[in-house]
Amino acid sequence: MRQLQKKFDDRNHLIAHVKSLAPWAEGASSHIEGGRQKAESKLSTIDPIGYCETRNFGDGKITKLSPYIYHGILSLNEVRNYALTKCGDPAEITKFIQELGWRDFWQRALFAHPNWAWNDIEDYKTGFTADDYADQLPHDLVEGKTGVACIDTFIKELMHTGYIHNHARMYLASYVIHFRRIKWQVGARWFLKHLLDGDLASNNLSWQWVASTFSNKPYIFNLENVHKYFETLVDTSPNSNKALSATYEELQARLFPNLRVAP
Amino acid sequence: MTKPLILLHEEALRATHPVFNAAPEGTRSIFIWDDSYFRKLDYSLKRLVFIYESLCELPVDILQGDIVSVIKEIAPTQLYVPASNKPPFISMMDNLKSIANLHIIQDEDFVTIPTTTELKRFFKYWSVAEKTAFRKNGDRDA
Repeated sequence: MRQLQKKFDDRNHLIAHVKSLAPWAEGASSHIEGGRQKAESKLSTIDPIGYCETRNFGDGKITKLSPYIYHGILSLNEVRNYALTKCGDPAEITKFIQELGWRDFWQRALFAHPNWAWNDIEDYKTGFTADDYADQLPHDLVEGKTGVACIDTFIKELMHTGYIHNHARMYLASYVIHFRRIKWQVGARWFLKHLLDGDLASNNLSWQWVASTFSNKPYIFNLENVHKYFETLVDTSPNSNKALSATYEELQARLFPNLRVAP
Repeated sequence: MTKPLILLHEEALRATHPVFNAAPEGTRSIFIWDDSYFRKLDYSLKRLVFIYESLCELPVDILQGDIVSVIKEIAPTQLYVPASNKPPFISMMDNLKSIANLHIIQDEDFVTIPTTTELKRFFKYWSVAEKTAFRKNGDRDA
């Protein structure tokens, strides 16, 4: 066994060292840096009240603490304790605490049911069976060249930074599963490869939630929704996002034709 | 004579993790950079860089090698490991049980809830969890 070095002249040297250890690893490094110092610095700038008001927006006051929480660099407990010091009444930060609760819930659920990680917990509620979904991720998705402008932007951000907004994750997951009819496991594996906070419990059970194998109905979205929350960040013009430019009723009929009620 | 060892993994990269309190004072801590383990997880370079630079700030030796082989070579009598719910980790721990007395240490709890709490849907969990979620240390100090 060889003891590996921990001191480097700068970050570029560290990155080169990791590359030499894992020449097979795909892609480049992210601008998001690891370590407790960075984590504490980010924690000191969170705005839990602002988070509650704006978290669904692409430019909302999200914390981006998840890579540090996944790696245990920050515990949920200390994030909660810190957030409590930033409000007068805990009720002001209900949604913030609840989001931490989601992560705790995913962790507990997988501890209790390890077989939920990669197996469908329930049947799809889409009118299709698992066999109707593809087993491979097509190249246009991997390369961010689907022709759906907002989806391509989210994919490139995922590849480049290893982090995307939670709302964008839900859009991407829904696009993969319901618009492209690909198994949720394929998309979940893709996210785990790239997300700095890629956590088996949170990631896979969220994919199952979108798929409807761990929820009562499939999660879908349309262009109007993307426009509402990401207008300032991505191209949401109908011409560049034709697959998404529809009402929910139209999408429901197009994506889940087997669920249509006979006249 | 006991020879304890702390084996960290990627989900417990902080010096205040309860595993450090569970082990006797002065216990050596290591992280094993296991290429085949990372290959199985198929991590991109950005994930590996994030882990490595987080390790550089910790009081831990980074050892390159196969996890089971390295533990066999060090031959601790007591092995302290942070808990994880990853299936590859769980099977790895099964392999280590025969080498050392294994102590799996849970991270500090976020909330205080009964072990019988329903985990099939979030809001079933939340209806129980919210009673302590808004309290410092999840009411563990109460």
